[in-house]
Amino acid sequence: MKPRNLIIALVAGVALAAGAWLALTTIARDQQLQFATALPVAAELPEFALLDHDGNAIDASVFEGQWDLVFFGFTHCPDICPITLQVLADARRQLAANGQATLPRIVLVSVDPERDTPEILGNYIAAFGDGNLGITGDLQELRKLTGALGIFFQKAASDNDYYSVDHASVVIAIDPQGRYRAVFSSPHKASNFVHDFPLLTRL
Amino acid sequence: MRLPGFLVACLLCACAETSGPPLVASDVEITRAAPGMKMSAGYMTLTNNSGEAIVITSISSPQFGVVEMHETVVEDDVARMRKLDELTIAAGESVVLERGGKHLMLMQPAGLSRDITLHVQSGDAVLLSIATHLAGK
Repeated sequence: MKPRNLIIALVAGVALAAGAWLALTTIARDQQLQFATALPVAAELPEFALLDHDGNAIDASVFEGQWDLVFFGFTHCPDICPITLQVLADARRQLAANGQATLPRIVLVSVDPERDTPEILGNYIAAFGDGNLGITGDLQELRKLTGALGIFFQKAASDNDYYSVDHASVVIAIDPQGRYRAVFSSPHKASNFVHDFPLLTRL
Repeated sequence: MRLPGFLVACLLCACAETSGPPLVASDVEITRAAPGMKMSAGYMTLTNNSGEAIVITSISSPQFGVVEMHETVVEDDVARMRKLDELTIAAGESVVLERGGKHLMLMQPAGLSRDITLHVQSGDAVLLSIATHLAGK
């Protein structure tokens, strides 16, 4: 073989190997969680007595039977709460369009039960699609749920009638057995859930 | 209300190196309140074309009982909303009011008007009046 042909063959060989390596690592990365952090062992939820957005009494079994993506917020929140719920609704729509068989239910747990009655919460979550679940109720009972999920919330000081509530901005994935399975850190993008949610369901 | 604003605008113009209004709003969006709710968020870009800093101390609207300047701050996965007492825009700079950041919170709507007017003020002086309308149908 002439030296020139040898060089061409070498370059082609290296390029081929690099391409194959890139393809393999890309495939491997595509099949790993990139945005969510899965718990090493799924955590059972404690018992609690709260209300759904229809005013029905619910307990921890409300999370059984489907995957849930749970966000904590309040209806008197004009900015970050509707943004996050819209991201989750968009993600759900894209997952459905991708043919994903298991779709998550979107759940909003109120961190402002004082103002968020079931009726207010129900009207609010319906704006982000069908089948969403709103949870509110007694503050002490709410703390049992948020405490178990490591969710911080606290009413912020206010100089007028309106008050805000500081709250954790994570989204928590609860598996069909009603167990805490993974957490998505903010900032949230629909594509994060579209990528990681199908992987979570196969863990 | 309009005359002092006009005067201030003229004074700011006099200081500015470039011609045109000193404070300009663009990409204005006032969200429609969620069902059952009475709160809208306001987003826009405010540009200071003058040669001096502009300090916005309030924004008011005839269509809303209360308009506040807020900032959503997300740190360590905790979202906090804080009221801003003033908004300073340096000479020649812009401040963006955007989702997940600085924004307006508009409360206590007076009726169901689609047309919205916002008065951007520094103290009692109206620096800019913005005519806009609620987003969506």
